[in-house]
Amino acid sequence: MDVLILASEECDTAKEIICAPTNVIELFEFKHALFSIGPLDFTRTVILIFLAMFIVLALLFFAFRKPKIVPGKFGVVMESLVSFVREDVAKGTIGPEGSKYAPYLLAMFLFILVGNLFELTPFINFPLTSRMAIPLMLSLFTWLIFVFVGFSHGGLHYLTGIIWPKSVPIGLRWLVGLIEFVSTFILRPITLAVRLFANLVAGHLMLTLLLASGWLFFASVGDIGVRAAIGLPWFLFGLLIFVFEFVVAVLQAYIFTLLTAVYIQTSVHPEH
Amino acid sequence: MEEIKGAIALIGYGLAAIGPGIGIGIVVGNAIQAMARQPEAATVARTTMFLGIAFTEALALIGFVLFFIA
Repeated sequence: MDVLILASEECDTAKEIICAPTNVIELFEFKHALFSIGPLDFTRTVILIFLAMFIVLALLFFAFRKPKIVPGKFGVVMESLVSFVREDVAKGTIGPEGSKYAPYLLAMFLFILVGNLFELTPFINFPLTSRMAIPLMLSLFTWLIFVFVGFSHGGLHYLTGIIWPKSVPIGLRWLVGLIEFVSTFILRPITLAVRLFANLVAGHLMLTLLLASGWLFFASVGDIGVRAAIGLPWFLFGLLIFVFEFVVAVLQAYIFTLLTAVYIQTSVHPEH
Repeated sequence: MEEIKGAIALIGYGLAAIGPGIGIGIVVGNAIQAMARQPEAATVARTTMFLGIAFTEALALIGFVLFFIA
């Protein structure tokens, strides 16, 4: 939002009301390094990654530093989050051996959740996961894990089970195998990353455009007079979207974790 | 052709949103029906519903991304 406001300060509201950033990518790019350590530039995105990491670590540390039999309010919330990921997502999808993957799923869920909720945090207002590098990295980790689990559980049968499925009539096997191969090894990581990325990009764009345009109309009340009231419905609609984006942020973190668990499950128990 | 590039991308995104729109409607409608018929199986139905939505939605989102790339 800062970029749009910066762009709007340059635009003359007396002459024309419509102000747009020159390029939509500016809303997501922070090329300017805040500080550098050697060859590493610390842009705003990098700092937010570390901030999200420290928030997740602090949440888990303070919740489970001294486990009590009757936890406090904060402890109850964190315990229900952990048991949700562990029981519902990991064990519910993968089966009894799912608890082995629960730490990975929990770390992923909390990191994505915090990164998504940065979108709605005042003074940050930037969803971490709207930079393709971050969801892509997470989905590549998932890809590595489910391929590794598949090979370690079934050996080469994992690969032959995908490209030469026994349950399909022999004439169609090569076609189904080809589709399965492409969808398992190529489309899965891409769609996993793009789903999270595009949802957050769309949310960030909508929030920025609605709230900033409302703000812009109010700010230019001296130039355009009573017509500034047009900004009010935009601003209210932006607040509605704000609530909606909270749901999207939580839901996308859940879906990413759930799909990771489902992919691991298809590697642990093929043919299901 | 270059001047109407933006318009073409918009139409492409609109086309990409039709199928997933119908698909998500079918998924959620049937999930609600399942939950109403068997409330005790609502948890399973809800998880599966989110999975189905996630798979269907991916197509619309790919269209959305292509809208910016094009």
